[in-house]
Amino acid sequence: MPEITGDSIKDRTFDAIVIGSGISGGWSAKELTERGLKTLLLERGRNVEHIKDYPTTNMMPYEFEHRGEMPLAIQKAAPVVSRCYAFREDAMHFFVKDNEHPYVQEKPFDWIRGYQVGGKSLLWARQTQRWSDYDFEGPARDGFAVDWPIRYKDIAPWYSHVEKFAGISGNRDGLKELPDGDFLPGYPLNAVEDYFREHVHQKYPGRHIVSARGAHLSRPQPIHFQQGRGQCQNRVLCQRGCPFGGYFSSNASTIPWAAKTGNLTLRPFSVVHSVIYDEKKGRATGVKVIDANTRKETEYYAKVIFVNASALNTNLILLNSVSGRFPNGLGNDNGLLGKYVAFHNYSATISAVYNGMKQYRTDGRNPVGGGYIPRFRNVFRQETDFLRGYAAGFSAHRSEIADHSGTGVALKEHLLNPSLGEWRVGSHMMGETIPKETNHVSLDKEKKDDWGIPQLKIAVVYDDNDEKMRQDYLDQMAEMFGSAGFTDIRPARADKAPGLDIHEMGGVRMGHDPKTSLLNKWHQLHACKNVFVTDGACMTSTSTQNPSLTYMAFSARAADYAFGELRKGDL
Amino acid sequence: MMIIAGGVAILPSCSGDPGKASIALKNLPVTADQETLLAAVAETIIPKNDMPGARDMNLHLFTLKMVDDCSDAAEQQVFMAGLDSIDQFSRQKYNNAFVQCSDTQKATLLDDIAGGRQDNKQLTTMINITKRRVIQGFMNSKYVMTDLKKYELVPGRYNGYFPVKTS
Repeated sequence: MPEITGDSIKDRTFDAIVIGSGISGGWSAKELTERGLKTLLLERGRNVEHIKDYPTTNMMPYEFEHRGEMPLAIQKAAPVVSRCYAFREDAMHFFVKDNEHPYVQEKPFDWIRGYQVGGKSLLWARQTQRWSDYDFEGPARDGFAVDWPIRYKDIAPWYSHVEKFAGISGNRDGLKELPDGDFLPGYPLNAVEDYFREHVHQKYPGRHIVSARGAHLSRPQPIHFQQGRGQCQNRVLCQRGCPFGGYFSSNASTIPWAAKTGNLTLRPFSVVHSVIYDEKKGRATGVKVIDANTRKETEYYAKVIFVNASALNTNLILLNSVSGRFPNGLGNDNGLLGKYVAFHNYSATISAVYNGMKQYRTDGRNPVGGGYIPRFRNVFRQETDFLRGYAAGFSAHRSEIADHSGTGVALKEHLLNPSLGEWRVGSHMMGETIPKETNHVSLDKEKKDDWGIPQLKIAVVYDDNDEKMRQDYLDQMAEMFGSAGFTDIRPARADKAPGLDIHEMGGVRMGHDPKTSLLNKWHQLHACKNVFVTDGACMTSTSTQNPSLTYMAFSARAADYAFGELRKGDL
Repeated sequence: MMIIAGGVAILPSCSGDPGKASIALKNLPVTADQETLLAAVAETIIPKNDMPGARDMNLHLFTLKMVDDCSDAAEQQVFMAGLDSIDQFSRQKYNNAFVQCSDTQKATLLDDIAGGRQDNKQLTTMINITKRRVIQGFMNSKYVMTDLKKYELVPGRYNGYFPVKTS
C-alpha cells in the first residue's frame, strides 16, 4: 500500500476518496480499486489489521481480569456505550467511550460507535437479509416518507454480488417477503427451534421461522480462500475479531482485497472535517481532513467522493460542508438534510420454557444464533391499526444447571456435575419505524469536538406507531408461544432509548424528486453529482431487515455506476 | 511480579507493607489479616481435595479484585462490614476466631450465615457476595476450563439435535 509521503497537490490527488472504512466504506473501496481507480480510504480511528490487531481473540475467559465483566468505574464514565450488549472486557477496545467523542442528546439517544479501521464491521451481529419489494414499496403504498427510487430488481444482482464475496449462510426458504440469496449452507435450527417452526407453519399460515441468515463461512468457497479466510469455527467470539476470518468484516475481507490491487491508500487517524465544494466547477473537489493526532489540516482531492462515515456521521460531515452555494450543508437545497432519521424498534423481548424435546440438547455453538421470523404483519396488505411491522429473532437454549447451595466438597461436586435444565426459548423484536421530519440531527451551534468540528445534536424519539407495534409483537408472540405449549411466558418491555438498536438510518434519504430528497437512485447528491452516500444515511425507510447487507449492495452498485460515469467523462 | 488468581495475573500491592493486602486495591481497605480470613472463607466454600481448592487458585484475591472494581461503594461498605463481623459470629458460636475453627465448624458457620440463621444482614450479604465470586472464579479457572475441559475456545461444530445421554 503506498504511503503518503509528499505534500504536493499531486500526491494528495486520487481518482476517488472514500470516507469511512466500515462495512459500506470497505465495499466502496473494494469496488473502486478493483476497477482501477486510485482510491484514498479515510478512517478517523486507528488502524486495525486483520488478526494482528485482535488482542483478545485467543484469550480464555479466565485470562480476562474481570472475566468479561465491565468495571464499575468504566460503566460510570461511559454510561451510553455500557448499555450495549457487546461492550464487554473482550471487545471494549473497539467501541467509542462516551467521553472520547461527546455528542448532544436533545432527546435521549444511545449512539454506539466504533472508530477504527473496519468500524463496526468488527462488532456487528452478522445477520443478513435481503429486502423485497414489500419493503421498497412500503413508503409509496402506506403514504409515508417518499417513494424509494429503486426496486428489488435494481438491487438483486448486487445482493448476489456481495453475498458471494462476503459469504452468507442461509437456506433457500422460498419466501416472497424474504428473497433467497446466493447462500452458503445454512446453520440448522435446533430441536426446539425446529419444533416451533413446524408448529407455527401448521397453525399460523403466512408466518415463518427460518434459519437466521448470517455472514459466516459455513462452507468457504475459492473466493473466500483467496481472501485468506477460512471456515467459521463456531467460536461465536466474533466481536473480538476472528483469526479464521470466519465472519465478514472490512478488516478480513474488503480492505485487504482492495489493498492487493495496488490502488488503495488507507489513511487512519483522518478526521474528515468537510467535503470541499468548488463553486466555479460546480462540483465537489475533495475533502478537508484533520489529523486525529497532530490536528494538522490537509486537503485531499478526487473526482468522486463516497461518504460512508456511518449514518449519523455522514449527516454530520455533509451538514458541516458549507459553501456559498450550499450554506446549509452540501446538497441541502431543500433543508431536509439531517431529517427523517429513523431506526429499528428493539424495545420488547419475550421468553418462556419448553418442557419437551428432552432427548436433545445442543453441542457446539450456532454462529448465527438460531431462527429468524420475517415480518408477517401488513406485508401483502394493511391489516392492523399500526403501519408496517416487525421481524423477530427466535432461539432456544438448554443450559446446564448446578446447585449452588451449601459449601465444601459437595458444592464442588455439584458445580462440576451439573444437570441439564429445561429448554428455554427467547425472542426479540426488530420493528420498522416511520421516518419523520421531526426525528432529526443537526449541528450544535456552540459545542465542538477536539478537532474543532461542531458536535452532532440528536433528536430522535419513538412514536405511537412504535408502541402499538410493540404491544402487537408481545401479544402475537405470547399467543404463538402459548399455542406451542411453552410455559412461564414472560413478555418484557425493554425501555431503551433509540440508538441502542445500532440501526440508525436516514437523514440523507434517496428519492426521485430533488425537492423532497437528497440522493437520486444512484446514491448521488441531486445537487452535487460526484458525491455518493451509500451507508445508512441514504435510507428512505428502514423496513425490518438488519441493514448491513443492503449497504454493501448499495455501495457496490453505486461504485460500479460511478466508475461508468467517470469512464464516459460524465463525472 | 504478578499473582495468578484463577488464571489471571493481578498486580501485587506496591506498598510492601506486611499489614496490607497482598494485591493492589483501589477502594477496599483490606488488611493482611482480613485477607487471611477471606482466604479461609473461600477455602471453606471450595476446599482442596483431590482437586485444587480456593486457596491454591487464589480465589479470595479474585473476590477482592471483583468487589474492588465491580461493586458500588455501598456494596463495598457492606462487604467490609461483613468481613469485620465474621470473627464476632464465630466467637459467639465456637468461642474461636474463624481461622482457628475446625473445617466442620467453618462450614457450619457459613451455612448458618448464608441460611440467615443469624441477624447480621451485612454478614449474610458479604458471604453471599464472596460465594458468588468464589464460584465464578472457580468455574472460570484454568483448572476447570482447560484441565477439566469444561470450555472450548474453538468448537468447530454445531449440532442442534445432540442426543442426551441417559444413564
